[in-house]
Formats: sequence, structure tokens, C-alpha cells
Amino acid sequence: MSEQVAEKTCTCAEKFNGTLQAIFDRYPREESSLIMVLQDVQEELNWLPPEAINCVAENLNVPKAKVQGVATFYRAFSLEPRGKKLVKVCMGTACHVRGAGMLVDELERRLEVNAGKGMSPDGEFSLETVNCVGACAMAPAIVVGENYYANMGPDKLKRLLNKERES
Amino acid sequence: MIKAVEKPVSHSEKDKTVRITIDGRSIDAPKGMNLLEVARSNGIDIPSLCYHPGLEAFGACRLCVVEITKPGWENWRKLVTSCLYPVEEDLIVYTRSPEVMENRRVVLDLQLARVPNSDVIRQLAAEYGIHDTTYTKRKDADNCILCGICVRVCEAVGANAISTLSRGPDKYVEVPDPEACIGCLACAESCPTDAIGWHEENGIRHIWHRDFELVECETCGKPILTQQQIDHFVEKSGLEERYFAKCDSCRKKETAVSISRVMF
Repeated sequence: MSEQVAEKTCTCAEKFNGTLQAIFDRYPREESSLIMVLQDVQEELNWLPPEAINCVAENLNVPKAKVQGVATFYRAFSLEPRGKKLVKVCMGTACHVRGAGMLVDELERRLEVNAGKGMSPDGEFSLETVNCVGACAMAPAIVVGENYYANMGPDKLKRLLNKERES
Repeated sequence: MIKAVEKPVSHSEKDKTVRITIDGRSIDAPKGMNLLEVARSNGIDIPSLCYHPGLEAFGACRLCVVEITKPGWENWRKLVTSCLYPVEEDLIVYTRSPEVMENRRVVLDLQLARVPNSDVIRQLAAEYGIHDTTYTKRKDADNCILCGICVRVCEAVGANAISTLSRGPDKYVEVPDPEACIGCLACAESCPTDAIGWHEENGIRHIWHRDFELVECETCGKPILTQQQIDHFVEKSGLEERYFAKCDSCRKKETAVSISRVMF
């Protein structure tokens, strides 16, 4: 039985150059692996395209409805394409008082994107607000990928974006 | 995985039966059976919306709350959802105490804000003295109270087509993959608030954005099932497809005729 499952390949797995196959091989093919697999798929593709969701459902033998339910439940999963880099603006209390709202406005204008929706026209950035990154002493803080930017102001965003574009 | 639940069998052995008190009445009940079932089977009414006798209890609607206490608790009482609470020896239950009624009123007040157009909820709320919600009514409200019965029934049927999508105030019930739906109506018929719309016309059943052609009874020509339903049942039950060719009443008539031939 287990051999049969292992042999099972679907056409959708090839669509993403076999990257999904490698993810499925990492976990037991059962419902309890669902979130871990979805996380890895999102890391790989940057978002969860409908084909990938169907592929996960088929390979883990979980109903598509259930996968869709889980993928829409967690905010961490994105069901629409995102830019290469995710700009997270902290909206915690400390950041909020020190003008995080202005940062969001300025970033939305510069990147031509709405917070939490879509990506910039060049496909480089997506913008998201988060509730607290735990760096209140650095308020207002912005996190891009793994990089933390402290004491941000609308005037410093141009440099930040240029730096992130280059790296 | 939700499975159809086996009803607890009645045990004659003394250690498997417990004696509890509900609203002052002494009642013997099988140990481990949930409080809601025990009360209902003894004619004591506890309202509920998300409970379905064929499914595992869910505890979502919070309407079946009751107050419980025990002799050793020194008058300390607590509220529990009766659908999830297994009965145990010496339990004392109050199903209509002021605390319980107040809780149900709050729940119904909130439900009324969510589904202001639902007759079921309006009637139930009125029974508890609530004729209008004190909260802001939901705009463009459908009749869904997110009890999850449709999702669980669909899983029990084995079609697994329905799911709740999104979270919090945006949560809604949907069929993300219409191909998986077999058009069996189990969800619509078990929905406590009739929130799932469907209709049949000229041998076509419409449900969840999809049209299903109905297969007719080969004897009387009455439309009975969808082909998808038949395929699903054949696969799950191992019965032959022939079994589903006739409607229930035609099949019974046929059985009656063949029995009468043997008997008389």
C-alpha cells in the first residue's frame, strides 16, 4: 500500500519542476502533515496557486475542500501572488504611536500596492501590516525578509527600498 | 476525521448505569452518554442548533448550555455545553436556571444579529423573550449560523465537498470544489436554519452552483437520485447499481408482491 502511494505522481507535480514532489517526500502522506506541507509549498512558490492546492490535496489524500479551508483560515498563507520580498510594517502600539500609519501610506504610494493585497507592478514587493514584531525599542520598525529596520520615517523609505532592490 | 457515531448501547450491568438528577428528577442513564441525549430521551427539552444525533458533538452553538453541580461541590455550579458533557454518577443538572436562561438569551441575541431573517432563530429567540437584537444586524445576511452541520454531514456521507472558508467575521460555508459534490441534499436537509438553497425542476436538481440530472425510477418514472449519488453509494456500499434503479415505494411494492406470492 505504502509503495503504491509513493509511486503516485500527478501531472501537477511536474508543473512546478518537481519541487512539490520533493516537499511531499519530506513528510508522511497524511492529513496531519497538511500545514507543514502548505508552509513549505508557500516558501517555495511564494504563494499558494490553485493548482498547487489541488496537488497537495491529491498527494496527501485530503479532500480539496479541507485544504482550501485550512489555506484560507491562516493569515500566513497567501492565495494570491506575492512579490519576491515581503515588506512588513509593524503596527504594534509603540510603532503605531510613532507613526507606523504614515509608513504604510508612503509605502503604498511608492510601491503602488495595497497593504495585504497583491504586489508592486515590478513584482519585487508585497506589503503587509503585522501586529507586533517584538521590537518596540526600535519603533517604528519595518521588516523586509530577515532584515529589521529601526526608527523608520517616511523620508527613509526610499533608501530602504533601493537597498532591498539591490540585494 | 469525523465518523458517524455509534449510539451507546443500554447496559443492564449496574456499574455502567449512572443515576443523575435533572431539574429535580432522578434519572438513570448509561455512563458516558452525553447530557443532551439523556435529557431529551427523558422528555426534557434542551434547545440546540449544532447538534445532530448522527454526528459527533461539536459544541459550536452554545445554546445547549446547562448548569451542573455535585453533592461534594458545596453549592458551586458551572455552565457546560450539554452536548459535549458525558453523564457521571451523582450529577445534578439544571436546564432552566436563571444563569442558563441568561446565557441562552445572549447567544440568541447574537444569532439574531447574524441571521435576522431566519424564521427558526426568530422563533427560538422569541421563546426566550427576545424579539429584536440589541446588536448591529449583519448586512445582506443569509441564514447561515456556521454551526458546521453541513460540513460534518458531508464528511460523514464521504463526499467531503463542503468546507468553511476564511476566518472570524468573514467565515463562510462554501463548496470550493463543485466536482466533489454529489448533489445528495444531506447538507440542505440537515441545516437547522434552511440556509442551503436548492430546487428541482424538469428532472434537474440545482444545488451549490451546479445542476445535477436526476435519474428516474424505472417503474414509476419519478426522479429519485443523481447519477453522482448512485456512483458514490455503489462505491461506498458495494451494492449493485441495479439496487438504485427503483424508488423506495416501488421497491417496497415489489417486495410486498413477491412476499404475497410466497405466502398465499
